[in-house]
Amino acid sequence: MSRGKLFKRALSIALTGAMALSVFTGCGGSDSSAGKNGELNIFVWTEYVPDSVIKKFEKETGIKVNVSTYSSNEDMLSKVKSESAGAYDIVQPSDYMVEQMISQNMLEKLDFDKLPNFSNIGDSYKNPDYDPGNVYSVPYLGGAGAIVVNTKKIDKDIKSYADLFDSSLEGKLVVLDDFRAVIGMTNKALGYDFNETDKDKLKKTEEKLKQLKKNVVLYDSDSPKSAIISGDCSAGMIWSAEVAMAMDENPDVEVVYPEEGPYLFFDNWCITKDSPNYDNAIKFINFMMDPDNMVLVLKEFPYLCANTKAIEEMGEEYSSNPAKNPPEDVIKKGSYVKNLDSDILDKYSEMWTKLKK
Amino acid sequence: MKKKRSKHEFRANTLPAMVTVGPMVLLLIFLVVAPLIFVAVMSFCQTDQYYNVVYKFTAENYSKLISPDYLKIYGQSILIALLTTIVCIIIGYPFAYIIARCKSKKKKLLYMLVIVPFWTNSLIRIYGWRTFLGSNGWLNSVLQNLHIIKEPVDFLYKTGTTVLGMVYCLIPFMILPLYTAIEKLDGSLLEASSDLGAKPYKTFLEVIIPLTSGGIFSGSIMVFIPCLGYFFVSNILGGGNTDMIGNLIERQFKSANNWPLGAALSIILIVVTLILVKIYQKLGGDMEDLGV
Amino acid sequence: MNNTKRMRKKMRNKALSVLFCVLVYLFLFLPISVIVANSFNATTSKPYMMWKGFTLDWYSKLFDNTLLLESFENTMIIAIVSTLLATVIGTLGAVGMYRYRFKGKGIINGLLYIPVVIPEIVIGIALLTLFSKVNIPRGMITLILAHVSFSVPFVIFNVRARLSGYDKSVEEASMDLGANRIVTFFEVTLPILAPGIGGGALLAFTLSIDDVIISYFVNGQTKTYPLKVMESIKSGVAPDVNALSTLILIGTIVLVTLTQSDILKRKGK
Repeated sequence: MSRGKLFKRALSIALTGAMALSVFTGCGGSDSSAGKNGELNIFVWTEYVPDSVIKKFEKETGIKVNVSTYSSNEDMLSKVKSESAGAYDIVQPSDYMVEQMISQNMLEKLDFDKLPNFSNIGDSYKNPDYDPGNVYSVPYLGGAGAIVVNTKKIDKDIKSYADLFDSSLEGKLVVLDDFRAVIGMTNKALGYDFNETDKDKLKKTEEKLKQLKKNVVLYDSDSPKSAIISGDCSAGMIWSAEVAMAMDENPDVEVVYPEEGPYLFFDNWCITKDSPNYDNAIKFINFMMDPDNMVLVLKEFPYLCANTKAIEEMGEEYSSNPAKNPPEDVIKKGSYVKNLDSDILDKYSEMWTKLKK
Repeated sequence: MKKKRSKHEFRANTLPAMVTVGPMVLLLIFLVVAPLIFVAVMSFCQTDQYYNVVYKFTAENYSKLISPDYLKIYGQSILIALLTTIVCIIIGYPFAYIIARCKSKKKKLLYMLVIVPFWTNSLIRIYGWRTFLGSNGWLNSVLQNLHIIKEPVDFLYKTGTTVLGMVYCLIPFMILPLYTAIEKLDGSLLEASSDLGAKPYKTFLEVIIPLTSGGIFSGSIMVFIPCLGYFFVSNILGGGNTDMIGNLIERQFKSANNWPLGAALSIILIVVTLILVKIYQKLGGDMEDLGV
Repeated sequence: MNNTKRMRKKMRNKALSVLFCVLVYLFLFLPISVIVANSFNATTSKPYMMWKGFTLDWYSKLFDNTLLLESFENTMIIAIVSTLLATVIGTLGAVGMYRYRFKGKGIINGLLYIPVVIPEIVIGIALLTLFSKVNIPRGMITLILAHVSFSVPFVIFNVRARLSGYDKSVEEASMDLGANRIVTFFEVTLPILAPGIGGGALLAFTLSIDDVIISYFVNGQTKTYPLKVMESIKSGVAPDVNALSTLILIGTIVLVTLTQSDILKRKGK
């Protein structure tokens, strides 16, 4: 940091007052309304895209990127809907949300002529059910709702989601702040489908959730590893990569994939309908599929990666770590969130309200 | 003649009134009244399968909100707000009394020291509590080093922690009106009371408290009502376990996507607020006191 | 004998009340000390909780975090603009309400209490629904509008408090001496009201820079400093955020001490 730069920064803050006046008279010329100036507005999950990678993109292309973050698919959907069209150029919905946004005509088709790096994506990740033929989306990262255990603090041998409901775990768990994940997990613990729609079965799920309520002290989707690292919680159901990061900090922490088969998710790059910066957005997505850049991402956020070239570059240590790269048989047993009818979905959110009351 | 007078009236009263009060009235209409009316309208609307708002009448949102689950959340919110208010009075009253009756020159400094912490962003201060109270936090380390406890105690993510955070955020709104009320007390009155042989506690109960009740009432209103809406405190310190009305509203607008339901919840919150303010006025509270 | 007993009791009471005050101040300043301490924490791994030694690095790294500094600039712009607007609108409104006759004064008076009394979250969602219905893109403008709307009543109350002890005859005298209404307003009325206006403006400014809840609903992609903090809380507050908070705190303390001592001096003369 040069002194001159520092001084300039200080000066610019001091001059804010003057700038304020110009906004006052010019009626907000600096308002970044819908990026007409070519600035890219991207809306991504918290703790998912490293700042260093964004800075690298800005440096290489000269395109400024404004990053906003969200904590759940529903957060994102709600905000994209309530903003005026084109407020965000790029979003990062999970599997089921891609499907939902396609059916609501909220996404723009991708121009694959401009996405040569798509060839780096593994074949098994292409052509997903939620977006046949990858018309609107390309896969980024994914993972599982894995069980995290601090073996030093928990004596019980935890093997399944059902074990998390054990009364010995009272007041010890952290789970994702995500209603589909938590209720789905409870369905699985009872031997039901992850996306159960049978109303009688859902009543049993509701009963079962009462047991969970006693055990959970923290709902956190953003950085659930924090509570594990700090010792405030000693077990739970969190993103697999968050378990991996907690394991790096604390050797007592272990990852467990539930016997019932885990909750799975895969997040994707999409461009919103009527994005005013379509070309820059495509450039960004292509940039994010470059193996070298994905390596930078994986070093910071070790999720299941669709970019096979990047996985190869990360080497054996990465691909053999079950938390960073969930094994194939785990993936096979897992289930994704599916879109439900609105009356069932209402039931799910009602159960969620009850859980959190 | 009449015309001339009305012209004068226009220049002397109507025109300046329009120029001075006009901008404020426009602001109130467009940024206060219109949005609230709109919320009221929306609370009677439906949603389609994708949770887009459909402008078609329904009372379903309200019938949903009187189910036992929601009632429990209201009860819980009111309980937390009440606890917060009581704790604020218990701590705030003696504190305000001591600094307001302090005769030294330091009085002003003592008063400023109450306000200084609030120049730092409130979220980061709440987060500071999380760091302080965590399993590896300062408090647990100190207690462990003093051998008072062996294993770290879980202070975080309890209802009590939420109350602590609320008290922390809102206590100046209790201390400041109390300070003003106590400062206005006439010292000679207190002397008279003790000269007449009243025991100190009797003077306190029968003279001081009634004379400063205005401060207690306005402080209570200013603590209780915001408490119902401070969703971030229960998010950060409560772990998302004890939802309050504020959390419910926030969720409807930010993630559950059910705006009409959130609007109905807001209307309920407005009604609760208005009832409390009415009670406050009935008790002889002055609306002016709520302004600062 | 009796006297010493009473003295002792008085001393004990005094000691108790000092102790009590110290405890309350400890309570008030505890999180601040956590913030200040963590701004010197050498840790670089999230969630930045473990103490890894003392460093001043974060204070220079802070100036590389353009997003954080940008959010602080936004906060300052919004606070200054909204305070200016609120002060002008509020002062005019208070004077007008005090001086002129018109219908609906009572209603307007009642409406002024709404933003003061109703929980912020309701104001936030109400503005959000309105802005999204009439399709005003969320950003700097909506933030400023929202901040003006909740600070105007506070300015009005402050100015009104000053007006209630105001002697109208001074103005009449000025008009008698041949000054017109506008000159009178600027030369006579305004100086008298200045303390009330200043107090109101200060309050508006303070409310604006610390506002979380209302801004959270109407911000769009524009981040204010409190919203940036809210975002960083998700992944553990980084020490550079703590460093900036510490600097802001020191800045305000210095500023207030300067202005306060200035007032004291003038009073002394």
